[in-house]
Amino acid sequence: MNTSHIRNFSIIAHIDHGKSTLADRLLEFTGALSAREMENQVLDQMDLERERGITIKAQAVRLSYTAKNGETYMLNLIDTPGHVDFTYEVSRSLAACEGALLIVDAAQGIEAQTLANVYLALEHNLEIIPIINKIDLPSAEPERVKQEIEDVIGLDTSGAVLISAKTGFGIEEVLEAIVTKIPPPQSDRNKPLKALIFDSHFDSYKGVIANVRVMDGCIRPGMKILMMATEKKFEVAEVGIFRPSMSSIAEIGPGEVGYIAASIKNVKDTRVGDTVTEIDNPASEPLPGYRKVTPMVYCGLYPVDSVEYDSLRDALDKLKLNDASLAYEPETSMALGFGFRCGFLGLLHMDVIQERLEREYNLTLITTAPSVIFKVFKTNGEILEIDNPSKLPVVQEIEHIEEPYVKATIIVPNDLVGAVMELSQEKRGEYKDMKYLDVTRVTITYHLPLSEIIYDYFDRLKSSTRGYASLDYELIGYQQSELVKLDILLNGEPVDALSVIVHRDKATYRGRLLAEKLKDIIPRQMFEIPIQAAIGNKVIARETVRAMRKDVLAKCYGGDISRKRKLLEKQKEGKKRMKQVGNVEVPQEAFMAILKMD
Amino acid sequence: MNLGLYIHIPFCKQKCLYCDFPSYPHMEGLYESYTDALCREITGQGVLFSTNQVDTIYIGGGTPTALPAPLLLRIVTAVKENFAVTTDAEVSIEANPGTVDGDTLTALRAVGINRISFGVQTFSDTLLKRLGRIHTGEEGANAVRIAKRAGFSNINIDLMYGLPLQQAEHFQQSLQIAYDLAIPHISVYGLKIEDETPFACSLAQGKLSLPSEEEEETMYDRGVTYLPQHGYERYEISNYSRPGFSCRHNLKYWHYAPYLGLGAAAHSFINRERLANTQDVRAYLECINSGCSPVEHREIADEATQMAEFCFLALRTNSGISYHAFYQYFDKDFYQKYEQQITSLTARGWLQQPDNQ
Repeated sequence: MNTSHIRNFSIIAHIDHGKSTLADRLLEFTGALSAREMENQVLDQMDLERERGITIKAQAVRLSYTAKNGETYMLNLIDTPGHVDFTYEVSRSLAACEGALLIVDAAQGIEAQTLANVYLALEHNLEIIPIINKIDLPSAEPERVKQEIEDVIGLDTSGAVLISAKTGFGIEEVLEAIVTKIPPPQSDRNKPLKALIFDSHFDSYKGVIANVRVMDGCIRPGMKILMMATEKKFEVAEVGIFRPSMSSIAEIGPGEVGYIAASIKNVKDTRVGDTVTEIDNPASEPLPGYRKVTPMVYCGLYPVDSVEYDSLRDALDKLKLNDASLAYEPETSMALGFGFRCGFLGLLHMDVIQERLEREYNLTLITTAPSVIFKVFKTNGEILEIDNPSKLPVVQEIEHIEEPYVKATIIVPNDLVGAVMELSQEKRGEYKDMKYLDVTRVTITYHLPLSEIIYDYFDRLKSSTRGYASLDYELIGYQQSELVKLDILLNGEPVDALSVIVHRDKATYRGRLLAEKLKDIIPRQMFEIPIQAAIGNKVIARETVRAMRKDVLAKCYGGDISRKRKLLEKQKEGKKRMKQVGNVEVPQEAFMAILKMD
Repeated sequence: MNLGLYIHIPFCKQKCLYCDFPSYPHMEGLYESYTDALCREITGQGVLFSTNQVDTIYIGGGTPTALPAPLLLRIVTAVKENFAVTTDAEVSIEANPGTVDGDTLTALRAVGINRISFGVQTFSDTLLKRLGRIHTGEEGANAVRIAKRAGFSNINIDLMYGLPLQQAEHFQQSLQIAYDLAIPHISVYGLKIEDETPFACSLAQGKLSLPSEEEEETMYDRGVTYLPQHGYERYEISNYSRPGFSCRHNLKYWHYAPYLGLGAAAHSFINRERLANTQDVRAYLECINSGCSPVEHREIADEATQMAEFCFLALRTNSGISYHAFYQYFDKDFYQKYEQQITSLTARGWLQQPDNQ
């Protein structure tokens, strides 16, 4: 197709502002799916995505739309992940487009996540069409929201489209705006092939399916291709498009979006952001912006039952096929036995992977509290990257420690600024900036340690602002901090999987809290269990789990011993969900206790 | 091996608020027919166990003394006529302090009952009332005095701790009163709230104020220290006695010895099999009168379970697990069978092995 009739766009929206619903309506309106075939939120394919109302993997759909001018256009909708963990993926999806629909909830206004993605889109020179959604709500204030968009982002909102994705109102206007406002791709069929990989997933029949946007040239089956960053070579077996089901086509032309399959066995070879070119006629340089994504958050994953270790490894191998950002390596814990240290892009990513392991692979896991990567500068000049608190060298060998910091952007109603500042201050934040979005809403910028964000910052932010605050953050680098390792001893024995690295000023407080929390979590056993929190050799908190109640002391009537036996059976049953750490039976929740302290 | 007999009297004057044992008030109309049926069962079973010597008999309830004395005498007589009761047999009866008088106890003593166990629970009137007991503290103490006058020297009282509103001091006082009364055997039980009792219901509604676990433990500790200091040996985790006064019948439960249960809801342990008669008094009467077996449950546990039972029951007593008894019973070496457990429990200091066993 002539590139003048191609429009590539994505949708930017905050969670719950209606991105998936609008996507559904666009599919429905253009006849990509009949209303009968529609299952709500077609693009969110994973069960988990649908349940949580979030998009984890990017999706691309080709729509055919005959505009009011009588011409038929090819519209490629590239759905982007909507979570801070996946910012890089979002940026690559945006790089595949010429325009973006900015959906803003007519009642809620702009949120931090939206703002971050709009800035990303502006960086890529995308044409942005403001869409005000949910105008059917009684609380809708489209004019105020328009004003906010103008003030905050500086977009002209005279052409903003007012819609209700739920009722279907304004959908045709959205399609017209896409056709008339978003520029066609500037692509040249005669130049050497350059295609951007913006997503990939593993298909058990076809191998890796890479979603690409062809910038120049075209891709056809039989073509020998080179991934310019990974330098892997393949022969294209099939190209096609999603409508939204997969269907193969003869070629993906310049400016178009589609998928390629080339008997690729591992998603590692089709990294998001990489450039595909033709071996026989290669492009002189790759597309800009590629970077290798690295995990930000690490945790230990251990099978409760050690016989599940092999199954866990197989499951991780399988997930990894589909998710190049997932990192893992075997690890051994004194307390938990054999398991894996896994790296994730962020907390949501971690949650999703854990849940999939348990749900899809039927594993029962113990997860240790997440940790960031600390840089430890040793006195002997060595620099260590520590992703597991138990691996921190002894104090005497440490010159200093650095931890990752993020720039956090929080948008909040102005009467809650105090709460946000108080919380951020408490979380060792450095105040950077504050701007009024409009008369009622403020954007605040802080530099915060990433470890505080993954600890409980987001939950606390939500609760202290009654859910009004929205948060976005990006990594800005490492800074030196006064950090110490907090150890937990159960029954006098240190439990490596419970160690955490915390700021010196907070160590005592957190140690005490953690000991108290563990006291509630660890069930009574046949003996008294001291729980101690210690820094180095110094015990800073102590609690005791009292010995089990002596239920056996009730009367036994007339030789009926069955009740006594039942007590024993009950005890045995209770042990099944526990991990034996030394002499102590420790339930799963204990290892996450550090995160669940108010 | 000698046999123990357990005879269940499933009646009481008033149900205590914590009780979930098979015992029923307001069944006076069935006393006569229940005694008839029980005597029939005794006769029938006596034939089957004619070769066994019976050296312990325990009449429990409910409240056996809820039955009028003549009925109780008929039951004891039936046992003696149908079983080979040894001359030195221990013959116990449970009694509620609110249901005894001198004449009855004298009559019971005369028919050969030589041990009496009173459900005193506590000597505090307030606490007794809260438990739904029908007697006062003074009546409890008085029952003991009456029993002594009637010729009983082997007397037990049950005491409980962890009762609603009970404080360590209350419990201590009860222990002291029991000691002052020179009672040779004391059972000390912790109150356990059982499902579907009035107490469980009050607890769920937040209307039952139980002592905290710490207070309860304090009471437990008082019992564990006070009684041995005053000449009582703790021969089983809930039972204390003066030398020579341990309850031989109850020890059979813990020593894996056989016992035959008679009456509604009675449990038996015969030839490794555990049996239980129906708990329903009317169903029991029907079975007996139509010549059927009143046994409702029977189970022979697999050997591993039997061994586990043998061990945990024996570990309730101060004599512990006997290597020889284990070998005799299961034809297996205890040390080999439980090597791993013995090592780990000994390392933790939970198991001791005396030199002579």
